[in-house]
Amino acid sequence: MILPYFVILPLLAAFLITLLAGKKDDWAITLAFMALISLLVLSIFGFVTMHEETVVYSMSGWDAPIGICLVQDALSLFMLVMINLIALTSLCFSIQYIRHLSQDWKYYALFMLLIAGMNGVVVTGDLFNLYVFMEIALISAFALVAYGCRAEEYEASFKYAVMGGLSSSIILIGIAFTYSATSSLTLARIAEVLPTVDPRLVLWIGALFLAGFGLKAASMPFHAWLPDAHSSAPAPISSMLSGVLIKALGVYVLFRLFFNVFGAPAIFMQLLLVLGALSIVLGVFLAIGQWDLKRLLAYHSISQIGYILLGMGLATPLGILGAVFHLLNHALFKSLLFYNAGAVEMVLGTRNLRKMGKLAKLLPVTSGTSMVASLSISGIPPFNGFFSKLIIIIAAIQAGHPIFAFWAVLGSLLTLASFMKVQRYGFYGEIEHKTPIMMPGNLVRFAMLTLAVLCVLSSLMVLPGIRELTLDPVVDVILNKTGYIRMVCGRAL
Amino acid sequence: MEPSALIYFLVIPAAVSLINLLLPVRAAKALTVIALLYLLVRSIHSLSHLPLLSECGLWGADRLAAFVLLFVHILSLVILVFSLKGVRSEIQRAFFVLYPLTVAFCNGVLLSQHTIAFIIFWGLSGLSLYFFALMGQGDSYSQTAKKTFIIIGGSDVFLIFGFILLAARLPVKEWNLSALQMQSGDPLYYLAFFSLLIAVLAKAGGFPLHSWVPDFSKTSPIESTAFLPSSLDKLLGIFLLARMMTAFFAVELIVKMIIISIGAITVVGAVMMAIMQPNARRLLGYSTVSQVGYMLMGVGSGNPIAFAGGLFHMVNHTLYKSNLFLSLGSVEKQTGSSEFRDLGGIAKGMPLTFLMALIGSLAISGIPPFSGFYSKWMIYQGLLEQTKTLPAGYQIWMLICLLLAIFGSALTLACFVKFLHAVFLGRNPGREKIHEAPANQWLATGIFALFCIVFGLFAAALPLKRLIIPVLAELGIAADLSLIGYYDPLLLTGLFAIVFLIGWVVYRATRVVRYDEIYLGGMAAETRFRVSGVDFYREIRQMPLLQTIYTAAEKKYCDIYELGSKGTFFFSGILQKLHPGLLQWYLFYILLGLLLLLLITINIGG
Repeated sequence: MILPYFVILPLLAAFLITLLAGKKDDWAITLAFMALISLLVLSIFGFVTMHEETVVYSMSGWDAPIGICLVQDALSLFMLVMINLIALTSLCFSIQYIRHLSQDWKYYALFMLLIAGMNGVVVTGDLFNLYVFMEIALISAFALVAYGCRAEEYEASFKYAVMGGLSSSIILIGIAFTYSATSSLTLARIAEVLPTVDPRLVLWIGALFLAGFGLKAASMPFHAWLPDAHSSAPAPISSMLSGVLIKALGVYVLFRLFFNVFGAPAIFMQLLLVLGALSIVLGVFLAIGQWDLKRLLAYHSISQIGYILLGMGLATPLGILGAVFHLLNHALFKSLLFYNAGAVEMVLGTRNLRKMGKLAKLLPVTSGTSMVASLSISGIPPFNGFFSKLIIIIAAIQAGHPIFAFWAVLGSLLTLASFMKVQRYGFYGEIEHKTPIMMPGNLVRFAMLTLAVLCVLSSLMVLPGIRELTLDPVVDVILNKTGYIRMVCGRAL
Repeated sequence: MEPSALIYFLVIPAAVSLINLLLPVRAAKALTVIALLYLLVRSIHSLSHLPLLSECGLWGADRLAAFVLLFVHILSLVILVFSLKGVRSEIQRAFFVLYPLTVAFCNGVLLSQHTIAFIIFWGLSGLSLYFFALMGQGDSYSQTAKKTFIIIGGSDVFLIFGFILLAARLPVKEWNLSALQMQSGDPLYYLAFFSLLIAVLAKAGGFPLHSWVPDFSKTSPIESTAFLPSSLDKLLGIFLLARMMTAFFAVELIVKMIIISIGAITVVGAVMMAIMQPNARRLLGYSTVSQVGYMLMGVGSGNPIAFAGGLFHMVNHTLYKSNLFLSLGSVEKQTGSSEFRDLGGIAKGMPLTFLMALIGSLAISGIPPFSGFYSKWMIYQGLLEQTKTLPAGYQIWMLICLLLAIFGSALTLACFVKFLHAVFLGRNPGREKIHEAPANQWLATGIFALFCIVFGLFAAALPLKRLIIPVLAELGIAADLSLIGYYDPLLLTGLFAIVFLIGWVVYRATRVVRYDEIYLGGMAAETRFRVSGVDFYREIRQMPLLQTIYTAAEKKYCDIYELGSKGTFFFSGILQKLHPGLLQWYLFYILLGLLLLLLITINIGG
């Protein structure tokens, strides 16, 4: 039974790091590596051996309505693989990056707590438990955003904490409503009871959750915390936040709640479509005007989340497929882009695109991988972003929403334009740099190369044979509400 | 030839490209030549086995595709011969990796029968354009690469959009290209058609999505300029337009007229810009754009003669424009500049290159008996014939377009008079002795020049009869073409020859020639008094109305890229003002959003 280890391992690592690590960070790094490698191996092992089964684990032997259950299905395993993969590359990137700031074990302890929180959100089958894990992840994220200890970082972290707190309160109110209506906090049980309660109450709960988790996912108009927080954090943390945190706490929960629990009610699907289209277009317009590379990337996260929400809102198998695929792809290329930004920041000490210049020769790996990532996010074949966006656009038109498809097309055009700007100024600019502060080390380059290769390889997931093994089970879980109830309640009750 | 052998057209160049990554440059060149030669033979061979369709249904070729495929390979092989010597050493490896890969992508576009495969290969061919642009030189090459790819890559999303709209109309979910069809009167008809047209205009370089072509021509390696914007991209763009006109859409008259008008505007607008350029590469770039106008008019009109003329002009243009770009490339490699102010008087040093460029210039200017005349003449004929069938208002509209096109043709001649004068004739700006280009270079331009002559003299017997009329027959447009009017290029050439002969006899008989020093106002004409080609048509630039237009054009008011980016940044600025970094504003947004969500769900859902 591997399920609890996804929470236990990172928590234990965080604990041991605080206990064992001395003044140097060597122990902290070793522990974090051990924890993350085993997490990644476990999650891949789980995904490969799942056979489209759902496994339910009751904590301490207490069954579902009283105790808390953990649920492992294709969706949660898919998320676990994604989280732990990005976390491992992020750790690789962190070592040199954080050492050039300080030699500090606290960073790694917080990092492991962040992972524990995210893994917990994904594996839990209990609504309140989910809330607790979410708060664990968020609090470590607040601390990590402020890690650089500069004024703007504190400001960003403070704003993040206030807005995050507000959304958590909204979610908490939603949970309270749910509990009062269904007398249960187990998601599957709620799903079972919900059709019998007053439909208006369901609408209230849905709206509260949509706003609350919409903020975690940084959908418009709940996006304003993201650009500050994601651009102020250290680069490996930015990649964790943009790459996986908004997805684990936001998109994943939206999938779970609105599909497995609520059963995709039409009104919320319509709202998701609108929020998605709004995020795509406004996010990209905000991004294209930025000159701070990380801020530009952060705004693009809003826009890309818009694509996922759009696919989700279509609620057709193809739309969900596109959304799930884009979820993974965005994690890969956005994390890579933040590593690129971080590498350039290490080398030149700037994030300003105007000050970057001719980097193609100086930093061949960084600029090469940034080209791959830029083309991926812009939706250029043969990179992964092309296929997921294509699926979403096809799904939108087939579902009879050519107008929403058009917004996605427009967003794609502007995304391309803004990443052409990144390439032109950031890597093929006019300024020659003779005296780099430091050069990216092997692990940093390894992290970037791994993700760049994955950006290409993950395109293969559209091929029918591979898709049936990887993405289709996830889509099935999302679309199958009764299956989720049966699997969870049938065994645990 | 087995239909499954079509896959060779993709696999071989792609494999060559991969192998070239590892080989030394010399071996890579040899391998590429062999591969492209083999594929050329195969593409000729495939012409007699049509139509081809692979068993899996993914690949196939009809006459149109095979016809374009043939010219893709002729052009890539000859341009490759030119590139064997003279590509900058630091980009050589990348160049010879990307070159066969680009051929593979173009073949993929032509042979795909699956809509998604078509879209992917189309996008990939645009991507290779971007990488060629990044191999450029000069201050602005990365700006050019950015602009090029924003226009090309951006138009790809419209291609995707258009194709998916088309595919969504099919009763069964199917992605076969040949099944796509949309009738007029469909609510999404215009959206789908113009989305695809955007892709055509961007790829082929038609107004208003043309502005990347002159920029690309200025900064990119000149071999790639001859290879992509003036050859392969034209072929692909017009290929898609031909498909749209004959298969995908039941085209309405108004749509045809819009395309013809876009064509006419492209012809005149671009050539007006071309004649003013101070740089030879940009001049050729603008003239490339201008020529697309004719193809749009021909293929877009739907008249059989004009359609055939459009396809013929497409081929002719790729041949003579590659010739011109490569001749200029030879000059540039010998002199180190493509600015008119640095050139002049090169004909003596490079007589062969001059001869090839002269033939190319005559062909593009539509001087009989060269190829360009024949295809333009067919387009005009077709359009005139079309006019007869139109309602009265449309007739005037069409005639205006036709007049503009003919006017553009005259300006093209003017343009190339300037080109020839400024590059090859005129006086040398005090340069050391110039040597003739290496043999591979004049061989390449020579082959193209030969094509210009042969396709002019034997137009009816060779390209039209063998290649283009079968295409028309297969597409169901016309079984045969009966051209109006009488034009026999051979007879005309005979007459020209007689006139020249008489002239020569007179010259030999009288021969009174006096050579003298040049004087300017009584002074010896020093080099500093030299008139370069830069200001050849300055008077036109200063004419009252034209001055305003040119000033506007120089401020890039006609460049959709500039206008688009201004609009985008304006809107982005407004949005940024709404994000001042104040927490209370953001909290307000969140609460407002929550309130709206609650209101909407309670009111509509309840």
